[in-house]
Amino acid sequence: MARRPSPVVWLLAPWALIYGTFFVFPFLFSFALCFLDYNPLNVANTSFVGGQHFARLIHDENFHGALRNTLFFVVGTVPVTTTLALALAWLLRGPLPMKNVLKAAMFLPSILSVVVIALLFKLFYAPGGALNETLRVLGLSGHTWLTDPATALPAIMAMDVWAAVGYYALVLYAAFTAIPESLYEAAELEGAGAWATFRHVTFPMLKPAIGFVLVINTIRSFQVFVEVLVMTQGGPLGSTNTMVLMLYDTAFRRLDYGYASVIAYAVFALSGVFSVLAMRRMRAQTPAQTRSVPA
Amino acid sequence: MIARRVLAAGLICAALFSACGKKQTESGTVVRFWQFWDVAVVAPIIAEFEKQNPGIRVEVEQLTWATGLEKIQAALASGTQPDVCELGSTWLPRFSYEGVLEDLTSVYEAERDSFLMWDSALYNGRVYGLPWVQGSRVLFVNRDLFRRAGLDPDRPPQTWDELLDASRRIGALGEGIYGFGQNIGEKYVLYKKFMAFAWGNGGDVFDEHGNIVVNSPAMLEALEFYLKLAPHSLQEKQEVLDQYFKTGRLGMQISGAWNVKNYALEAPDLDYGVALVPRPAADRGAHVSFAGAEMLVVFKGTAQKDAAIKLARHLQAYPQAKAISLAAGSVFPAARAAMNDPAFTSDPRIRVFVEQSLTSRTPPAHPGWIEMEEVIDRAVEESMYGRRAPRWCLDDAAREIAIIAARFERK
Repeated sequence: MARRPSPVVWLLAPWALIYGTFFVFPFLFSFALCFLDYNPLNVANTSFVGGQHFARLIHDENFHGALRNTLFFVVGTVPVTTTLALALAWLLRGPLPMKNVLKAAMFLPSILSVVVIALLFKLFYAPGGALNETLRVLGLSGHTWLTDPATALPAIMAMDVWAAVGYYALVLYAAFTAIPESLYEAAELEGAGAWATFRHVTFPMLKPAIGFVLVINTIRSFQVFVEVLVMTQGGPLGSTNTMVLMLYDTAFRRLDYGYASVIAYAVFALSGVFSVLAMRRMRAQTPAQTRSVPA
Repeated sequence: MIARRVLAAGLICAALFSACGKKQTESGTVVRFWQFWDVAVVAPIIAEFEKQNPGIRVEVEQLTWATGLEKIQAALASGTQPDVCELGSTWLPRFSYEGVLEDLTSVYEAERDSFLMWDSALYNGRVYGLPWVQGSRVLFVNRDLFRRAGLDPDRPPQTWDELLDASRRIGALGEGIYGFGQNIGEKYVLYKKFMAFAWGNGGDVFDEHGNIVVNSPAMLEALEFYLKLAPHSLQEKQEVLDQYFKTGRLGMQISGAWNVKNYALEAPDLDYGVALVPRPAADRGAHVSFAGAEMLVVFKGTAQKDAAIKLARHLQAYPQAKAISLAAGSVFPAARAAMNDPAFTSDPRIRVFVEQSLTSRTPPAHPGWIEMEEVIDRAVEESMYGRRAPRWCLDDAAREIAIIAARFERK
């Protein structure tokens, strides 16, 4: 009984307190909200509604639209960002002038606030903005990028790729530098060309890092919100309404916290499923395990 | 063992916090006031109040437009709401409906004729807010472009026909110059511009009995006219429209007083005027516009009800509302006294804003308005994008508004 708790407990306590208050508690509280009619202006009138919010989600056309837009965003940005990041990382490996400056420049968007980036791109896409002026100089006609329902979401996606690619390129570059040179020497001895070397040495060795990039970027992309809030608020005609934007509107404007929590759990479940799929595909494999060596 | 220690530590912390909280209430009555203006502007007004009311101390907190509403919601959920609070006219009806506001009908009965913009505070025959400051939208006209288009800059459009004609002529001046500005592609703005035409034409969302009339002939006529302006209009977000007007490429737009303040600083050479929103015809309809009003409310359950109402009335009174308005430069007092005060009538442009507010409307006082305004935005936007005939858009809007309204009929 007189045993004193190990100092580890005390060292962990501040973290545990913050984690409990700002993660575990809201996580459980919002789970409970999924089954309640809860409105912050009228907490006393909270009532249990069972699975009603879930049923509503299945039939809600607004949610279907938000789901479509979000999936389009994820499927349209994550592979592009990953491929571009891989290409940039590959380039960084080679002899390049001012490599450190390049690396710093690539990382720069990651330290900018998303709001700042979104405001800059709002100007960039505006009529008379940099993009349209460039097109004009080139003799091409401009476009109202953010007010055309067909181009608003792709425009935001392009911005997201630009803003995210540098960070992931550096992650992959770090993984590149960790590949032992001896593997390349062996490949060269075996007479492997550039593509075969990439296919059978570089790519398998990079798989864990690519898996990390895919998972992190998938989770982040499912949560796309600030960009849309700043640039289009979900418009025009709901073409950029995403799940988290809908969650935000449902909770803080419509004061329907129960339904908003169900949307939150839908986002959580979807990003979970996609992340697991991505991890399965990219499970770490050593070169010895890759058997698909062509004859 | 550990659990007990953590609990003890927690209790000590809680005791410390509550001690901090208590200390303040020991020195007489404390009224907590949350508002959105610069504290430096409000501070002298509060100091004056405290001087007149020894024994009452006011704690002012400034909310931000970005997160203020969430903070108020969180405070109400946890029972830590202030005593007096500023609320926008769009939000007030929902708060009235939820029963979290103190009934201020007695103040209304005493002050009814001294102030405009009571509408959003009315709910079920009772009054839950005091009109404080307000901002009407008016028609901005670029006088240079009027001259270039052969129009008389001293005679801005009075009627829909004149507005359409001026838009067409200015729009024909050349590439990159537009006659009129129409909001598109952003939330919470479009309906404010469209409803000015609808209201002016006798249209509305609800009639006096509360029936949904959003698809009435008067509404359809207003929407069809609004669409007639489209070929001569720049359809963009508000900030782009403001930018185009500032740089002399937009003939006319309906916007707010913040532009007057900005243009004085950023475009001192811009030759522009302002006018009342045009009416359907010289012999028909009215010069109606949209106004956003900032209302003062007292939250129910305050221990300082009398002091809180006293503070709200002090803030609402003309001298105080005037001081805030002049400092902000983008709003006007809700008090009728402003209509005869040279501070607001000597500048020909400012006078138009004050005059417009006499016929301006705030959004319908329905607790579901926050959702309904999105439905109206969407109906107008779908028509503007040519997705469907205006008639169908308005019929759909009527159906959706009925569904929203039904949800608020439970109580």
